[in-house]
Amino acid sequence: MRHFFVMTLFAALASVVFGSVAKETPNERVIYGVKVFAEFMVIGLVLSWILYFIP
Amino acid sequence: MVKAEKIELERREPTPGSAWLIGAVAWFVPGAGHVMLKKWWRAALMGGAVWLCFFLGLAMGGHMFDLSTGQGSSTILQVPPMIANLGSGILYVVSWLLSIGFADDPERARLATYEYGNTFLLIAGLLNYLTMLDAFDIAAGRKP
Repeated sequence: MRHFFVMTLFAALASVVFGSVAKETPNERVIYGVKVFAEFMVIGLVLSWILYFIP
Repeated sequence: MVKAEKIELERREPTPGSAWLIGAVAWFVPGAGHVMLKKWWRAALMGGAVWLCFFLGLAMGGHMFDLSTGQGSSTILQVPPMIANLGSGILYVVSWLLSIGFADDPERARLATYEYGNTFLLIAGLLNYLTMLDAFDIAAGRKP
């Protein structure tokens, strides 16, 4: 659980900065930030399941 | 504006000196560049994310890098992570002066969150480089 929480925290902090830097309008930035956050989480979970089966 | 026109405009208009100053301040104190530009929300979000990332990294027992060789590793190997850590500006400098997060402490290394802490400290610096470039671009008039 701790690992998942840390990963979520990391994804949130990174996506805040990525979202703020990119795009033109505030609306686009929010959407982009949410998209980056979701990508971090999904890729993190997929990678962790792949690594789970590797001895 | 088309990208080619933007590039042409940048070529004609030299970067103002204040943009370099704001860039330097933005690097040294995370978020301060945007404060100088009166971009309060950006300063709070981006600067806040960098500060939080850094202190969470330290709280998790993370380790920062400098040029002193630890555990027989080469000095050159310390340079890339040190560049990332250096991005935190004053946070790195103060920690280095006070020897916080630099010692090879087995107690800290034993923590379950040690590697996470290292990553958070590295990412805090890298995120601040992005923040610095954003402040520089705004100050140079290349970004709204």
